[in-house]
Amino acid sequence: MSVLPWLVAAWLFGVGVYGVATSRNFIHLIGCLSVCQSSTYVLLLSLGYRWKAVAPIFYDHPPGTLAVDPVVQALVLTDIVVGATITALLLAMALRVDAKHGTLDPQELRPLQGEGH
Amino acid sequence: MSPRTRLALLCLAGACLTVPIWKVAQALPPFGAPTGAYGPAVNALGPPLRHVSNMVSAVNFDFRGFDTLGEEFMLLCAVTGAVLLLRGTRGESLADKAGIIPGRPRERRADATILICRIFGPLTLVFGLYMALHATVTPGGGFQGGVVAASGLLMVYLGEGYETWRKLVRSRVLDVMEAGGALLFAMAGLSPMLTGAAFMQNVLPLGAFKDMLSGGLMLVENVGVGFAVAGGFAMLFLEFMEETRALKSETQE
Repeated sequence: MSVLPWLVAAWLFGVGVYGVATSRNFIHLIGCLSVCQSSTYVLLLSLGYRWKAVAPIFYDHPPGTLAVDPVVQALVLTDIVVGATITALLLAMALRVDAKHGTLDPQELRPLQGEGH
Repeated sequence: MSPRTRLALLCLAGACLTVPIWKVAQALPPFGAPTGAYGPAVNALGPPLRHVSNMVSAVNFDFRGFDTLGEEFMLLCAVTGAVLLLRGTRGESLADKAGIIPGRPRERRADATILICRIFGPLTLVFGLYMALHATVTPGGGFQGGVVAASGLLMVYLGEGYETWRKLVRSRVLDVMEAGGALLFAMAGLSPMLTGAAFMQNVLPLGAFKDMLSGGLMLVENVGVGFAVAGGFAMLFLEFMEETRALKSETQE
């Protein structure tokens, strides 16, 4: 039972990678990448969780109350915000690919050719 | 590489990794009983040393403030990259008209939508500001508050339509917010060095515990992050919306 959170994280990462590898559409691929990223949230938050502990905010509870790990929470917090902007960057790239090549299928794209040598 | 080979390779890698993952999962500390000493140390030292009650903010802006500076610049780079890709191909010219897809009927916005957006748009904005301002006291902070405040702007778009939204949200202002926020964070790190202190050392008065103005330098960094995040998210939305607008050449015909 105590290994369940780690296995959930591994499974989330696995299905994300499967989606990335078999994707036929860049938008779908970016979604799969977000799933991969979510696995890190599950892993980090599970690593910091403590039974019968409160959130690491000592406003209603006096300082010294048993609280969960605030370091991993801070990591996940910044991860989510930065991850959202990275998703936007990737979507902007997908728009450019569609405008240039007329397709969103990664498997139809050829490697970039240099112009004249 | 054909899709079939790729899938076979993926299955092979997955099969190879299954046993190590299982071993690692069993070797990790049991769920609910972490063994790391860093988190408990922060929880124990944050209130007496920094007079703040939100330990997540204390980690973000003080104990690991240098790391957050890196995150801040990742955010700046990602937003800049996205804006560059979108704006670069479209040019800077702005036409205040929403794009129309030929053949799709244009329906009037329902009154209920307008009403709900007019009520909840300002409320969301105020809630975002509240979250950002109380970073060191209650759950929240510049990151969360900035995102919530930017979503308040989306409610304006939803309720009032594209043209009003464009009039209200100026991309120049968002540019300044995004870059100025990152600059403020970097300056908050550098300015203590002018007094002979270390980088990002908390030299400002710490204030009273559970007070909105507690935390000293954390408050400055928090404002920087709030501006950068709100500006960045609003700008991303603006740029993606601009992709759908009608070009000037199309609207004049």
